[in-house]
Amino acid sequence: MKYFIKKIITLIITLLFISLLTFTAFSVIPGDAAISKLGVDASPEAIARVRAEYELDQPVMTRYVHWLEKALHGDFGQSYKYDTMTVTQLLKSRLPVTILLAVMSFVIIVVIALPLGMLSARFAGKWLDVLINQLTQITMAIPSFFLGIILTYVFGLVFKVFQPGGYVSMEEDMKGCIEYLILPAVAVALPKIAMVVKYLRNSVLSEMKKDYVRTAYSKGNSVNQVLYGHVLRNALIPVITFVAMVVAEILAGSLVIEQVFSIPGMGRLMITSISTRDYPVVQAAVLYITSIVVIINFLVDVLYQLADPRVRTA
Amino acid sequence: MKKRNYSLIIGLILTGIILIITIIGQFWTPYAVTGMDSLAKNQAPSLIHLMGTDNFGRDVFSRVMNGCGTTFFVALSTVAIGCFFGVIIGSLTGFYGGLLDEIVMRINDVLLSFPSVLLVLIFISFIGTGKYKIIIALGVMFIPSFARIVRSEVIRYKSQEFVRSAQVMGAGNLRIIFVHILPNTAVSLLTAAAIGFNNAVLAEASMSYLGLGVQPPDPSLGRMLSEAQAYIFTAPWYAIWPGVVIVLIILGFSQISEGLRAISD
Amino acid sequence: MDKELLKIENLTIGFPTKSGIHTVVDHVNLEVGKGEIVGIVGESGSGKSMTSLAVMGLLSEEAQVSEGSIRLNGQELLGMSREERRKIQGRNMSMIFQEPMTSLNPVMKIGTQVGESLKLHTDLDKETIRKRVIETLASVGLRNPETLIDQYPHEISGGMRQRVMIAMAIINHPDLIIADEPTTALDVTVQAQILNLLKKIHRDTGSSILFISHDLNVIKEVCQKVVVMYKGVIVERGDAKEVLKHPKHEYTRKLVASMPDQVKKSQNTKKLLEVSNLNVYYKENKKLFSSKNQRKHIIHNMSFDLYEGEILGVVGESGCGKSTLAKTIVGLNKEFDGKMEMDHLKPQMVFQDPFSSLNPARKIGWIMEEPLKLKGIKDKKQRKEMVDQMLVEIGLDPSFANRYARELSGGQRQRISIGLSLMRGEKLIIADEPVSALDVTVQSQILRLLLKLHDEKNLTYMFISHDLNVVHHMCHRVIVMYLGRIVEMADVDELYDHPCHPYTRMLFDSILTDEEKTATDCVTVNELLQDASENEGGCPFYHRCHYAGEKCLNDVPALTDIGTPGHPHYVRCERIEYGEKYTAAD
Repeated sequence: MKYFIKKIITLIITLLFISLLTFTAFSVIPGDAAISKLGVDASPEAIARVRAEYELDQPVMTRYVHWLEKALHGDFGQSYKYDTMTVTQLLKSRLPVTILLAVMSFVIIVVIALPLGMLSARFAGKWLDVLINQLTQITMAIPSFFLGIILTYVFGLVFKVFQPGGYVSMEEDMKGCIEYLILPAVAVALPKIAMVVKYLRNSVLSEMKKDYVRTAYSKGNSVNQVLYGHVLRNALIPVITFVAMVVAEILAGSLVIEQVFSIPGMGRLMITSISTRDYPVVQAAVLYITSIVVIINFLVDVLYQLADPRVRTA
Repeated sequence: MKKRNYSLIIGLILTGIILIITIIGQFWTPYAVTGMDSLAKNQAPSLIHLMGTDNFGRDVFSRVMNGCGTTFFVALSTVAIGCFFGVIIGSLTGFYGGLLDEIVMRINDVLLSFPSVLLVLIFISFIGTGKYKIIIALGVMFIPSFARIVRSEVIRYKSQEFVRSAQVMGAGNLRIIFVHILPNTAVSLLTAAAIGFNNAVLAEASMSYLGLGVQPPDPSLGRMLSEAQAYIFTAPWYAIWPGVVIVLIILGFSQISEGLRAISD
Repeated sequence: MDKELLKIENLTIGFPTKSGIHTVVDHVNLEVGKGEIVGIVGESGSGKSMTSLAVMGLLSEEAQVSEGSIRLNGQELLGMSREERRKIQGRNMSMIFQEPMTSLNPVMKIGTQVGESLKLHTDLDKETIRKRVIETLASVGLRNPETLIDQYPHEISGGMRQRVMIAMAIINHPDLIIADEPTTALDVTVQAQILNLLKKIHRDTGSSILFISHDLNVIKEVCQKVVVMYKGVIVERGDAKEVLKHPKHEYTRKLVASMPDQVKKSQNTKKLLEVSNLNVYYKENKKLFSSKNQRKHIIHNMSFDLYEGEILGVVGESGCGKSTLAKTIVGLNKEFDGKMEMDHLKPQMVFQDPFSSLNPARKIGWIMEEPLKLKGIKDKKQRKEMVDQMLVEIGLDPSFANRYARELSGGQRQRISIGLSLMRGEKLIIADEPVSALDVTVQSQILRLLLKLHDEKNLTYMFISHDLNVVHHMCHRVIVMYLGRIVEMADVDELYDHPCHPYTRMLFDSILTDEEKTATDCVTVNELLQDASENEGGCPFYHRCHYAGEKCLNDVPALTDIGTPGHPHYVRCERIEYGEKYTAAD
């Protein structure tokens, strides 16, 4: 219990740290937001007015506390670019798509990678393992955005089952939305499948070399009983940590793949906001995504505690 | 029982070929890199244009040859920055331990839990785009991973008896770190460098694809892909060749790192 | 007794290499009768473990059995399908492994692991299995088996883990138990308890035991028959006591006579090292979220002298602080107070593990030149000459300078390690378990080398060891340590002839010496008194002592001299302090 309290405190400190970092970083970058909003030809009065409106004339710490206070209530202020929308509204419309895409990729990874990894380990050195190994080597080398382009070409032009740019929003048609997201999800998932397969295989194989496996065999367990009864749980413990990393990678991959498939998610929002210096949006987006990553890491940590009795009682 | 290290051999050959073509591409290309030919737009690969031409009639092969240079330059500088600072930070914190180590490693852990593409995206949004800025962004981002590897190696070795033995002989701490311990980490550092190189290639290509990395007129494989995407149905070779070259570069280095890992086991 | 249980005939096992098959077990013939304990003794690489793994059906896939047969109860085991073999493993035979820590599944509860062979081979229901597990755990001397079954291996001590392993092996009443170095990883006192337990199981159940060990004394203690293996071949066999008393084969003779002759004591009275009131602490690394400044007190108020030319032994169980003492003397541990006077000496150290004490990334020549560089010898040629000369002195060829440590055998590495400690020309050498990682015959070579150098160079040794036999042969004077304190200190003969402290006696009772024991049951330690925890404010040995009285609980006894003039014999015990006469029959 003490451990969890400690972990939660660390989590909160990390989140505060990140928010402070993002805020101050965006406060010190060159290029005045007021100028970027009004253009270089704007009158000094107009600029001063906008500066006051966005509180740009206050000291950084004051602004940070103020901003954090509002952020905790879900208010990230106004977008510079989309005058009519608050940052929160923008994020609300974009975040669900990205999360859906990430979840789909994650499911694909788990469903394919875990059995494949176990198979590869079970038949280590045999032709099946060699085949899986070669495939993973190659898929790991393909950047997801390039894979996305290839998939577009193959399924769009050759098989004609996919309409690039034909994204339908979730509200309009949930089924259509999911269907459209399948190819992007595969593009994000494939290189990661290779990583997880390889990691699980190596983890299982290194466990198989340990003494307790010999003990299990000496009691008359079959290969499968040893593999699933004794080794799997031990082998999955390091994989859990690895999966946390993969989840973060999936998020990043989703951000990039949105550009390839013209999906209006967080990624596209971030990239347009970065190029147009729409800092309130970038700030909020960065905070959101980093928070998600940090929270996932926290959850994985907790899961790790539950899986490994050695850490639990230590 | 010793098996041939095929991974290393294949990786070295593959990388070697690409490297040679790249180096040639910095001095000589079949066509001018920016030379447009309005009569030869979107031509399919042929003996005249090995990889076809793009929508301006530029020779894709020449552009790939030259663009690889940017990719290698960015990736190598990045790895060099990450490696240099990572080794110093990792070996000192690992050896001395204590509160500073704890703080540095906590920051490291937070940074490492983020995928590099995301971090670079954030970093870019602070400092802006361009070839040198992407090098700085990527280089800084890679410091933690090198620091962590070196640190864990140093920690592993510092409790070994040969280090105690050196202490008893009267060797100073810096001598122990850099003369006694560091040579032992060479293989894992090389492996990490090969992996880091891949991540750098991937991150640079992603950023340039998103328009946030290398800016025109510097040629870049990633930006070629984003330009080519619009013509994917009419001139697929324009997108495929730069992509394939990225894949080959990454494949080469991942084979090398695989081979190196086999050596260290 | 005459019925044959296990019969191995012409067993030959090899591994394929580039230059053909490398044979590790060569035409081995071996029988184990019903109710017999048969020992296989040999050093690493002798093929003893390979033989036992072949019987158990646990050989790795690369291993090739090219010839022979293994029959259990007349049934041929070689060439059996995996399915058939599974029915025998864990039912007709079971195995106890060397490393109780790694041989148990770290994420599986102890109860589940112990009951697994019942689950696999019988159709008993869960409740019955649970009961059997609890009974079996109790029968191997484990307390509170009801709570133990829900614990994980990392939560219990090494000795308890080995008991769990034994419980696991006997729960299904197998005909044959294979014990592969079951006590090698344990402390001497625990080792004696485990051996006794195995003998008791043998008496109670009548199971046959195939006992594999590198330790002759252990074999003699437990086994009725013994075979001696050397390089894959059985070189000698017969009645265990007979073979070890009158070895016929040259190799067995080498094994048995592996101790060097005892050394003569030097008469020098010049103090080389004076330790007084030494307290050593272990400081835990500062953590970000812990306010407490952790400092563990490892060594308490230690005082002793070391005379020139002397070999001073330090013995005690693991965790008693003997290695910490060594590190503090050579300057590796700065967390101490008290005095250590050693005029201008820079004591050097010989380390335990020959595999980690030499830098793997550097050549031997570089490693051995390093102390010279640090001493300030700039002339490269001179350094090289000195290294070559030292290599000869430690019995190696100068060409070793061009090799890496990984190309050397354990014994060669330890020679280098010793040479390295002498490069600076220092006279005081601290040797921390210098031979305990080596094979028996190699041990004797290294000990002889240490003695030779001691004579030639007029060295002074502090010799730290857990092996009381080695200390007996090597040292002039001995310190016995318990939980960071000296509990007894005397000349070697005096200490070995008249051990006074209950702890010293416990140690001596648990070792299995070359001499015949007069008593039938050698272990006098109450097995329930295993708790080695500190007794705050009282005698540190209180929790494990038979004679402990009320006074021991609250007072720390002083170190008292009960020796004769010129031959002090210090003991830290309440009974001695109060003038209670020591009697040998006690």
